[in-house]
Amino acid sequence: MPSATVNNHRPRELLSLLASADPEIKVRALREVKNQIIGNRTKKLSFLKIGAVPAVSGILADSVDNVIDSNCNNDNINNILVQSAAALGSFACGFDAGVHAVVDAGAFPNLFRLLGSSNEKVVDAGARALRMIYQSKLAPKYDFLQQKNMEFLISLLNSNNENVNGLGASIITHSCETSLEQKALFDAGILRKLNGLLEGGSLSQRDASLESLATIFKNNPEIISKFSGPEIGRPLSSVIDLAKDRYPRTRLLACMCLIVIRNTSPLFLQDIGIKTKLIHILLELLDDSGQVGDEAPFAFSSLIAQKEDLQELALEANAIDKLLHHLQKGSLHPRRYEGILLALADMCSKMESCRSKFLSLQVLNLVTDALTDDSADVRTAACICLKSVTRSIKNLSAGYFMDEVIVIPLVRLFLDPSTSVQVAALGAVSNIVVDFTTRKSIFVQCGGMKQLVQLAKSMESAVRSNALWALKNFVFLSDNRLKESVFSELTACLLASLICDPEPSVQEQALALVRNLIDGCINSIEFAFAEDGLILAAIGRQLQSASKAEIGIQGMYALCNVASGNEFHKEAVMHQLFPLMDDKNQSFMMKFLQSNDSQLRAATVWAILNLTCPLSPGASGRLEKLRNAGIFSQMKNMVNDPCVDVKLRVRTVLGQSMAFGNN
Amino acid sequence: MNKLVMNFLVTEGYVEVAEKFRMESGTQPDIDLATITDRMAVKKAVQCGNVEDAIEKVNDLNPEILDTNPQIFFHLQQQRLIELIRNGKVEEALEFAQEELAPRGEENQSFLEELERTVSLLAFEDVSNCPVGELLDMSQRLKTASEVNAAILTSQSHEKDPKLPSLLKMLIWAQNQLDEKAAYPRINDLLNATLEDPAV
Repeated sequence: MPSATVNNHRPRELLSLLASADPEIKVRALREVKNQIIGNRTKKLSFLKIGAVPAVSGILADSVDNVIDSNCNNDNINNILVQSAAALGSFACGFDAGVHAVVDAGAFPNLFRLLGSSNEKVVDAGARALRMIYQSKLAPKYDFLQQKNMEFLISLLNSNNENVNGLGASIITHSCETSLEQKALFDAGILRKLNGLLEGGSLSQRDASLESLATIFKNNPEIISKFSGPEIGRPLSSVIDLAKDRYPRTRLLACMCLIVIRNTSPLFLQDIGIKTKLIHILLELLDDSGQVGDEAPFAFSSLIAQKEDLQELALEANAIDKLLHHLQKGSLHPRRYEGILLALADMCSKMESCRSKFLSLQVLNLVTDALTDDSADVRTAACICLKSVTRSIKNLSAGYFMDEVIVIPLVRLFLDPSTSVQVAALGAVSNIVVDFTTRKSIFVQCGGMKQLVQLAKSMESAVRSNALWALKNFVFLSDNRLKESVFSELTACLLASLICDPEPSVQEQALALVRNLIDGCINSIEFAFAEDGLILAAIGRQLQSASKAEIGIQGMYALCNVASGNEFHKEAVMHQLFPLMDDKNQSFMMKFLQSNDSQLRAATVWAILNLTCPLSPGASGRLEKLRNAGIFSQMKNMVNDPCVDVKLRVRTVLGQSMAFGNN
Repeated sequence: MNKLVMNFLVTEGYVEVAEKFRMESGTQPDIDLATITDRMAVKKAVQCGNVEDAIEKVNDLNPEILDTNPQIFFHLQQQRLIELIRNGKVEEALEFAQEELAPRGEENQSFLEELERTVSLLAFEDVSNCPVGELLDMSQRLKTASEVNAAILTSQSHEKDPKLPSLLKMLIWAQNQLDEKAAYPRINDLLNATLEDPAV
């Protein structure tokens, strides 16, 4: 019968046993703590709360001096070291609070000292515990740039003990961040060692080596070309071979390493054969029911994101069907759920063929279901997926997405506690409200429009700018009644203050919203003049100090739209462009006309075009003013502007000015 | 051929046989026979229903295994519960289910279904005849034991399946494929493995 007495102690009892002077009692207590916490997150937490980590750490500290004494074969001491290290390692395993406690308790340097023991079990225990700590973001940073540290790292990689060189690889994987560090590692010959482990090592050594290599290669094309050069044999081919290894985890890590190389250096792995292989391997890894299958979709995303050629190949490989098939399985681990949704989002981000394929399978409900998932990451991913899919203009025009099943849960997410969910939901809604059939009533009915206005007042700038983006799209080409309702909800005051928001991205969206509000019939122009011309003044003010081209573009188009109105409107715009009576002051218009950004030049010329339209009575006066400000000489320099839009408008303006005689 | 046999003996854990085989054939095992002893002790403990003992031994061998394999840890805990129920220790079983198993279900939703099945054993008076009665079978112990064995092998960077059975499967498949295409000397009796000429 099992010794039922062993596991019956409560945590507090064990804590007091740990403090015993008798080494045998101490060891037994340590062993029991270890056995109670391994695999048991709940127990880790309870022990943590009563201060078990500092207690165990203290025991380690007391005994660790004996490690260096090579004559010490004292079983008790070694047992204490092994059990305390194992316990600390378990506290740190996959448990950030545990890592924090272990590091705080000062155990970290002592664990390193264990590596110098002559007792294999002590070394193993120390190495394992340290590896657990290095899996976490809370691990102390390893300074590779110090000579001493690099030598120590090399000694770890040279060790015969698998746990020890696994630790070396782990340190690299989790601590190497900058290109300076990557170079230092390369210069110290680390790549050669890792390659050795790759080709001749055991399963865990190969896996660890793949991860470390990927870390050293990341964003460093120089090192990649050195690695793939003739001096080190043909290491790239060993990685490629490992992508077909029998073990799923090895295949995944090899693919991830190859993807890092591909994304960093355009010279390598570009042929269609390797691209297709990577796609097939990753799609097949989705079938793995464990952690490998959870991570596979993220690797897939990193392969195809922003790359149409790969998305094309993936489409042909039935990626969308396969991803949706896995989505259909239900009760997915949150990480896997998130990964698959993001992979679908990446697939549909650029190509209509992918979106059509997705929508043709009629399983949009799989994505909308995820909008109400418990995990914020899953909800965010679902919104991002919808944002991609709703880029399909064909389906937007058909009003396919303006559906209660989609709109209502999205609008609910506007109130989500997580900012990233809010922003992602706004992104999806921004596309959906560009509903060319103007059947926007569902959105208004579920309170969506009012919510957007509320979000435009959020403390988070990302939420403000995305809410304005959605409103901008909402009023695009919509009827005046809708614009009125938005404007009265928003108020001129709020809109004016948003135009002058501290965040440039918010300013840009606010100006774009005004542009869309004013666009259309001549009555819409009145929005700019509400509350004594609050908005018009704000536009003028913001254009004076525009911090980036996009702000200038939206602002000028807004003024351009105002200037398409009557005399009064045109004069009001002139007042904004030339606020001081002194004409000699350089207007921001000159700056915009001389900008490198063709869109900004075009917007400015459009405004001038409207201001100098010959049909208006006051046109000649405005022309004079513009001429005196040097605008016309500037435009004469632009008759051959590289941008066709600019060139044509400039010629129209100059042509128009001929109607007034002087040139 | 000897290597295949050794690989089979070592993976399945027949230490004494492997030792003898090494002496007689001179074939070197690909892992240290001492580690096999440890691993076999764990397997035996589970097969005998001494799960607590097995857990302690696994943790002594390599504390990472149960810390990084929630499924195996859950199955071992599940087996502990089954053993308590088998021995009629109902109160202890209930306490154990509440304190040790329920948190596993909270930490990982995919375990909930199996957890419910196991706990439902407590609801039946005649456990050997109830719908979930197979949980009390020896086969359940063997399943768990084999799972733990595989995990230990993997952690030692050894393949968890012996090569011999796969090779046999491949032989049978290859012969089936060839049957459709040619006449050839065939192995019909796997025990003797003699090549038999095709009928004329």
